[in-house]
Amino acid sequence: MTRQQDLPLYRNPRLWIGLLMGSIATIVALKLSGAIDSTTGLILMCGAAGLMIPLYRSKLVLMRARNAVSIAAANYTLGMMAAAAAYLLGLGIAITLHRNYELTPFVRLALALLPALPIFGMIAVMARYLRDESDEYLRHRMIMASLGGLAAVLGIGSFWGFLETFELVPHARGWWSVPIWALGVGLTRLWLHARDARPGE
Amino acid sequence: MKNRLKVLRAMHGWSQQDLAERLEVSRQSVNAIETGRYDPSLPLAFRIADVFALKIEEIFERD
Repeated sequence: MTRQQDLPLYRNPRLWIGLLMGSIATIVALKLSGAIDSTTGLILMCGAAGLMIPLYRSKLVLMRARNAVSIAAANYTLGMMAAAAAYLLGLGIAITLHRNYELTPFVRLALALLPALPIFGMIAVMARYLRDESDEYLRHRMIMASLGGLAAVLGIGSFWGFLETFELVPHARGWWSVPIWALGVGLTRLWLHARDARPGE
Repeated sequence: MKNRLKVLRAMHGWSQQDLAERLEVSRQSVNAIETGRYDPSLPLAFRIADVFALKIEEIFERD
């Protein structure tokens, strides 16, 4: 079986994941330190989101080499990347315009929808995957990952809400639910992946 | 549910990937069924039985 370490560096998804994470971390650090303004941060973030394209391509090549690619899985990866990129872009545009311009309530309503709509896209991509994936175990894994995301949102959200009620923590905005959901889904997928990687041959 | 998948696969000299290709599922699926982490649906259990030319109860048994 083709292992990730056997691939040329530019074909290794780990390189692109590392570059993507590193870029995002650097941009966040620059923004938090005040070295760059919001607009520059948005432009840099859009550039970083572009790294998802070679990441997708390298992942697809690896899956093909392992004879493990399904059309459903490829569509899922592509759809999720597109939705995540649209979410980041929408978020950046909305925040930048809100901070720099006097906007009417109607425009602010439209801006709030900008990053919210891709979230429905993410759910639709997951639903389409569950409908199209013919491998029942992979479907089962996706359902488990979705439950992991749901557990993270409901668990952390409720706990934080009670902490807020008891005046122990500051107020958290509702949009935190998406990153927390994504973290829950991601960690569950990682756990399932690690469990499946255990040798069974 | 217990199963004899690993033994049967070894008897045929197949890797998990070989069996996965015959069943038209992923290698992870075969691994998960073999190690008892996942119980296959009835249609998949029938496919597994067909691949080994055995009855379902000759491959799977209750805990």
